[in-house]
Amino acid sequence: MKKECVAMLLAGGQGSRLYVLTGDMAKPAVPFGGKFRIIDFPLSNCTNSGIDTVGVLTQYRPLELNSYIGSGQPWELDRMDGGVHILPPYQSATGASWFKGTANAIYQNIGFVDLYDPDYVAVLSGDHIYKMDYADMLRCHKAAGAACTISVMEVPWSEASRFGIMAVDGEDRITEFAEKPKEPKSNLASMGIYIFTWQKLRQYLIEDEADPNSENDFGKNIIPKMLAADEKLVAYRFEGYWKDVGTLDSLWDANMDMLLPGSGLNLLDKNWPIYGRSPVCPPTFVGPHADVGNSAIAKGCTIDGEVKNSVLSTETSVGHGAVVSYSVIMPGAVIEDGATVSYAIVGEKCRVGRGAVVGAPPESAADPAQWGIAVLGPGTVVSAGEIVPPKTMLDRHHNEEVEA
Amino acid sequence: MKGMHGIIFSYEKPTGLRELIDHRVHGSVPFAGDYRVVDFMLSNMVNAGITDVGVIMHGKCQSMLDHLGSGKSWDLSRKNGGLTLLPAFAYAERRESAGKFRGKMEALDCVRNYLEHIRQDYVVLSDSDLVINIPLQEVLQAHMDTGADITAVCTAALGDRGDTYFKLDATGRVVDTVRDIHTPEGYRCLNIFILSKDLLLHLLEDCMAHNEYSFRGGVLQKRGGELDIRAWIWNGYAARIDTLQAYYQRSMELLRPEIRSELFCAERPIFGKENDAPSSYIDPAGGCVNSLVADGCDIQGTVKNCILFRGVQVEPGADVEGCILFKGTVVKRGATLRNVITDKYVTICENETLISRETYPLVIERGATV
Repeated sequence: MKKECVAMLLAGGQGSRLYVLTGDMAKPAVPFGGKFRIIDFPLSNCTNSGIDTVGVLTQYRPLELNSYIGSGQPWELDRMDGGVHILPPYQSATGASWFKGTANAIYQNIGFVDLYDPDYVAVLSGDHIYKMDYADMLRCHKAAGAACTISVMEVPWSEASRFGIMAVDGEDRITEFAEKPKEPKSNLASMGIYIFTWQKLRQYLIEDEADPNSENDFGKNIIPKMLAADEKLVAYRFEGYWKDVGTLDSLWDANMDMLLPGSGLNLLDKNWPIYGRSPVCPPTFVGPHADVGNSAIAKGCTIDGEVKNSVLSTETSVGHGAVVSYSVIMPGAVIEDGATVSYAIVGEKCRVGRGAVVGAPPESAADPAQWGIAVLGPGTVVSAGEIVPPKTMLDRHHNEEVEA
Repeated sequence: MKGMHGIIFSYEKPTGLRELIDHRVHGSVPFAGDYRVVDFMLSNMVNAGITDVGVIMHGKCQSMLDHLGSGKSWDLSRKNGGLTLLPAFAYAERRESAGKFRGKMEALDCVRNYLEHIRQDYVVLSDSDLVINIPLQEVLQAHMDTGADITAVCTAALGDRGDTYFKLDATGRVVDTVRDIHTPEGYRCLNIFILSKDLLLHLLEDCMAHNEYSFRGGVLQKRGGELDIRAWIWNGYAARIDTLQAYYQRSMELLRPEIRSELFCAERPIFGKENDAPSSYIDPAGGCVNSLVADGCDIQGTVKNCILFRGVQVEPGADVEGCILFKGTVVKRGATLRNVITDKYVTICENETLISRETYPLVIERGATV
């Protein structure tokens, strides 16, 4: 059945800069903010924006992601017509290939999009934390009669050279696109969120596929080609919270932003709910010796120690006399009695033994340049009394991964 | 078809839950921060592999209907069977009592057509106001092993005189059933019964023919001699939520780890209606200790020995102790609450002080502003 707009969610990336956290799962499946996973944000945005047909393009370690999405019911995306579909790479009569790049991933699923004969296609990333009304962006796209609308946000001029920068004319029509320019002509950074008029995109995808020199990437190939052909590309200015959580530091930052009034990331806001698949568990018990401050606590936790400036996910426990500060504790992790966890990301189902120490505050570092947050990959066991120094990354086999 | 069918009775009963049942029936009273009382019995049934459950209700059942919905939260939204809502008005033509049941047999008679189409060989009957985590499949196994006509779950822990008590012989057979005795003795009936579908239909016909509307009176007492009624003794936790004092006391008991670990054991999870509230935020200024906290709360004041439901706000400087605050309660700055139960969406204004006693908690009705 015909749909006005179909969303294609790019969720195939490994997220190699999340190191041990994505050893066994794709980046969009990484837990965020206590009750959610990163992919809940774009999926919930789709639902709240009235987009009921979503293709999720998966490639790297899809098991966790597939089972999490399931029928799509938590996001109301289990629909009679449309709904959420997982789209992995597939084999065909002429051979099989992985998704070579973001554009190729959509190219290989032209058939899926055509099923719904949409006028527009939204191309979204699976690794951003933000709340955005795609319907409003679509209105702007239609009003401008654009071939492509790219959502952008103003960044400080000093940081502009770290982003893909859009130069625009007086009517926000994009005149130039530069990936990480040394001398930026504007401070409008691309958020990696696009709406295309489908017939235009379809044509460019086919042309791009035929070009042997192309990397089949939206930012590197499709957008520059459309600009070169003088297509109408328009910038959609987004104001609000947005963060790419592709690195450990940004993931930690975004979690901490939840605790910061005025950061713009307010998950208690009921006007734009974020949906997720939450486990069955009783409410959190804050014990008689607990000392909890400036922290976000999900359900199913048992806390009898000190928890400050931290995010505790579902079904975690913090033992008597344990201290957790400036840390992100992912679902099912156990911090035993007397353990200390500070400036750390503790992965799902980790166990930090009695009296163990994970991470340390930056002010304790002899050489601040060598300091960093400590990270435990999912399922890591830290034995009693063990010390995991700052900036250390351990996986569940207790192998240390070193930042590349 | 082997297996059990679940029937839950959820209708108005004259009891002491006071304001808590102004807008609802017993089973839909919020409990334990994230649940309704009926969730426990429903989860017990689901965890025992029961796929078909009928909930019989009359009276103020709107909140129960809203809560149960399609049964999806308990995995009872099925193509065949699953959850069936049996509100009285749908069957009122069977009785002249205009959709009010005087007892279980009368309630069952109203849905006799439904009972006749039960696919399973056995039926488990239960009230909706019992907080318990019990392996019902073991009760069924015992029922089949002993060859009893009816197996009744009971406990050695005595309750109050309004409960039903059994006297057992050495083999565990029920020889006498009494109620309203001055000094409770024997085994307290938990109102969970397993019997075959055929026997249930037969007893129903017989009771109705003799104008007997009560399961206790018509079946347990009058036909207790001819039927082989056996007790299955449960030594675990069981709490009937039928008075405000019981409600308060049973809620506060949840702050004890041993009771929580029994009630919310990992092998038999209690399913509640899922929700999309984010994590709760707890601020350093107040201090929150020895409390159960559901999702979506914003706690900036002092909270001690409390049960907080979803989306409760305690503003800075507020001081709450020994309270049960239902969904959406807002306690403004400087307010002081002791032993208060606030129903949904209550607002306690700035610097307000409400102090009650554990033995007689104050209840603030739904939506009120104090």
